Amino acid sequence: MMSAFESLDLQQRMLLTFEAQEFLYREAALLDERRLDEWLALCTDDIHYWMPIRRTTNVKDLDSEFTKPGAMAYFDDDKRTLGMRVQRLAVGRAWAEDPPSRTRHTVSNVRVVSADANEILVALNFHLYRTRLESEEDSWIGRREDLLRRENGALKLARRHIFLDQTVILSQNMSNLF
Amino acid sequence: MAATMIATDRTRWFNADTGVLDRRIFSDRDVYQQELQRIFARAWNFMCHESQLPQSGSFFMNYIGEDQVIVVRDRAGAINVLLNSCSHRGNSVCRAEQGRTNSFLCAYHGWNYDLDGRLVAIPGQEAFYRNDVDKAKWGLGKAAQVASYRGFVFATLDPTAPPLEDYLGWVGRLGIDMLASNGELEVVDGIQKNRLKCNWKLAVDNLYDWYHVKISHGSALRIGYAPEEAMAPMSQMVILGEYGHGIGGPGITQAELDEYAARMQSGGGEPKWYDMMAARRLDPRVQKMLGPVGTRSFGHPNIFPNLWITQFNQVCLRVPRGPFETELWWFTLVPKELPEDQRRLAIYMANHTFGPAGLLEQDDGENWSHSTRGAKGAVTQRLPLNYAMGRGHDRVEADPSGQSRIETVVNEHGQRWTYQSWQEWMQADSWQELMAHHSPVPSGVV
Repeated sequence: MMSAFESLDLQQRMLLTFEAQEFLYREAALLDERRLDEWLALCTDDIHYWMPIRRTTNVKDLDSEFTKPGAMAYFDDDKRTLGMRVQRLAVGRAWAEDPPSRTRHTVSNVRVVSADANEILVALNFHLYRTRLESEEDSWIGRREDLLRRENGALKLARRHIFLDQTVILSQNMSNLF
Repeated sequence: MAATMIATDRTRWFNADTGVLDRRIFSDRDVYQQELQRIFARAWNFMCHESQLPQSGSFFMNYIGEDQVIVVRDRAGAINVLLNSCSHRGNSVCRAEQGRTNSFLCAYHGWNYDLDGRLVAIPGQEAFYRNDVDKAKWGLGKAAQVASYRGFVFATLDPTAPPLEDYLGWVGRLGIDMLASNGELEVVDGIQKNRLKCNWKLAVDNLYDWYHVKISHGSALRIGYAPEEAMAPMSQMVILGEYGHGIGGPGITQAELDEYAARMQSGGGEPKWYDMMAARRLDPRVQKMLGPVGTRSFGHPNIFPNLWITQFNQVCLRVPRGPFETELWWFTLVPKELPEDQRRLAIYMANHTFGPAGLLEQDDGENWSHSTRGAKGAVTQRLPLNYAMGRGHDRVEADPSGQSRIETVVNEHGQRWTYQSWQEWMQADSWQELMAHHSPVPSGVV
């Protein structure tokens, strides 16, 4: 049973927030440095990596703003398919990343939502900036819900749900990990 | 006079005899403006699938060329295609891409339109207009014709367009039947949409392209996401249809289909590259629906101008957004009665193959955008493009069923037919002229 963040004392909150941030900054750096095997090793075997499709809806239809789990999505990956994305970049002829993109993952507004001895649920804002080739630019901004879990004393990523702010994706592809 | 001009213009942009294309058609702004008038405003355009409009008031926003349209089910159950522009100042009357509504109320001055486009209320009708406005004359613009084929909704803005089934012809209908033969379809929630920096025609011509697979999608093949033998097989079939429709891609022989059936009867044996395809065509009802040639085709249909139908469970609309930008809209359709595990597998495949993050499609967009960029260079754009693969080396074979086709290796027949047809659409001033002057579907040596 996870405790809501507000029920913890200040010192516990500081420690959890610091620990979560440290993990998030480290794995963001791995993505930017294209150390993807090391990044993949930070994911639990049961990871769910998911980016639903967002739609522009009227206020009264907002319950259908995002597609639900099991419907269509931009990413709906487990460890195996994340592994395929990583492996793809290593075997050649992955043209979307050859020449490679230059990415910068920024995470901010990191808030621990709840925690117990094993898991920390974190909400955050992200900005993934990409530039590639001569002058291509992409910017993906949104909100994330990450579930971090302790395995053998170290934190791992057990869930990443990505809620992008764009509805039509204004990019030629999404060949980078969020 | 007009006929002479058309005859002499036959090679203006594309020379079907040599397979040489003038690449300025990918960058010329006048060509693009003409396309909006002569192709999109004239053709039957795919709007959505009926299952996306379950109730009265359900709507889905789409485009015909760059004209934004609302596809909406009215209170009588009929599907209307309305131009999204108020008759008063031209503002849009709907700003959501999908949802449900009782009416379309303009956010500017409050003119209110019913689900069938009729203007039903004007604020100040008595006080300001002194009742001197005829609401019956000021409804929303509407598509001239709306029709469905097997649940796929199409609309045309041209009242003189032939009926949808005639427009599709047997090839367009076969293309849709290939998906419809999977069962009674419904759209899975979520249309993937992303924007490429390419001319729409380059996205269309790629759907016939089985030459790029091993190169562009080399990484997906190398990691075993898709088997190379099935993704880019040597045996190919091309079916060409009136007005520019076509189907191009893998084809298997009747002997292979029979071999598969016999092997399954005897309980297995060594798997072959075509097993996944053959398995879907064993059902006699499916064979009857698709005909003897269609049963053996696993190619990609294109409903001219811009609806790609995949061989599994998706269709992709190539939406023009200016001469240098195109949006890809992916619709996923699975049979309603599919068992849960198979439904999950179908959605898994759709989510991981195409779309901007798809393991295959990630690598396509830059190819087409760089082809578009190459058509902008002042000197580069003068260099012709080679669409001549296989030209003059194949033959259209007739079939007693009427399903004529080309059976060959990887080729560019589909692309040539697309540009030849496109040129005829662009040079005709009306449907009447297009019907009178368009090329018959090729026969003999192609």
